Amino acid sequence: MSSELAALMSATFHEAGVTHVVELVHQKDAAAHRRLASVRVEAYDAGGTRRVARELDPGQETLDLDALLGGVGREHGRLLVVFDARYDPHIFPYRPHHYAYLHRPGSAAPPLYYAVNATLGGVPDRIGAVALNNFESYLFLDRPLRERYALAVGNLARFAAAEAEVITYYGGERCREEVRLAPKTHAEIALAAERDGHRLRRVELKTLFRLTSYVVGRRQDDLVLFDHLFTYFK
Amino acid sequence: MSAQPTAALDPALDGELLCYCTTLTFGELRAACARGSWPPPGKERTGRLCTGCQGDLLHCLRLLGVRPS
Repeated sequence: MSSELAALMSATFHEAGVTHVVELVHQKDAAAHRRLASVRVEAYDAGGTRRVARELDPGQETLDLDALLGGVGREHGRLLVVFDARYDPHIFPYRPHHYAYLHRPGSAAPPLYYAVNATLGGVPDRIGAVALNNFESYLFLDRPLRERYALAVGNLARFAAAEAEVITYYGGERCREEVRLAPKTHAEIALAAERDGHRLRRVELKTLFRLTSYVVGRRQDDLVLFDHLFTYFK
Repeated sequence: MSAQPTAALDPALDGELLCYCTTLTFGELRAACARGSWPPPGKERTGRLCTGCQGDLLHCLRLLGVRPS
């Protein structure tokens, strides 16, 4: 790899049968079409076994995840999907954000558009970032909860298992759960919508190193929330 | 954080990136540790920016006999 290139490893989760299109490069200017130097996609099952590995054409702007992974997902369940991108930092002065469109066919729920979680890289030295991004939180709306919520987490490390702390807040009550993730494994942790009459107000995720993480909301079979958490300290 | 036991750092990984923020490879880490010059210039913030590689970095430093600072 050229030392001139920068690197970003982003990740999401895919369930078979859901329309899930990832925008590999978010173009901002039609007159200045940007492209990655290279991009590779891999997919892992919940136990951390790699099921798919493929180099993509870096000129490709979108990737239909269900076309690529639907069959694998039907056989192996929800997949951790990892994008390993190399790019020229002069072309992408911050980083090449990936965004994604998510919708279950036939669902009356509106489609979701979200930013793919940048898990490794994306905070290069030149940015001078100081925020800790391995402490993250998510605030829930102040309205009756009609959804089932969960926290989806994945560990992109090669060697290190992650011991994560998931903390939920209900009124004055604080509940703590520990989750251990072996390398390349992932899990979905259900978050109770209510405890002792108090609604879920906030979830926090604390780990030694950054994980791939999303808050997921489902209403019956509809996916109504899929969003990354936010850094705890600014 | 804990790490799976591995006897040595596989040289096949040398060309792969360990830190995506500072673009440090496993091979550069190995060479720096062998020279006794970890961290090399410009790589001082390895593991400290996005933090995503910190678990693997600590694991590799242990394998290479270097005490993390």
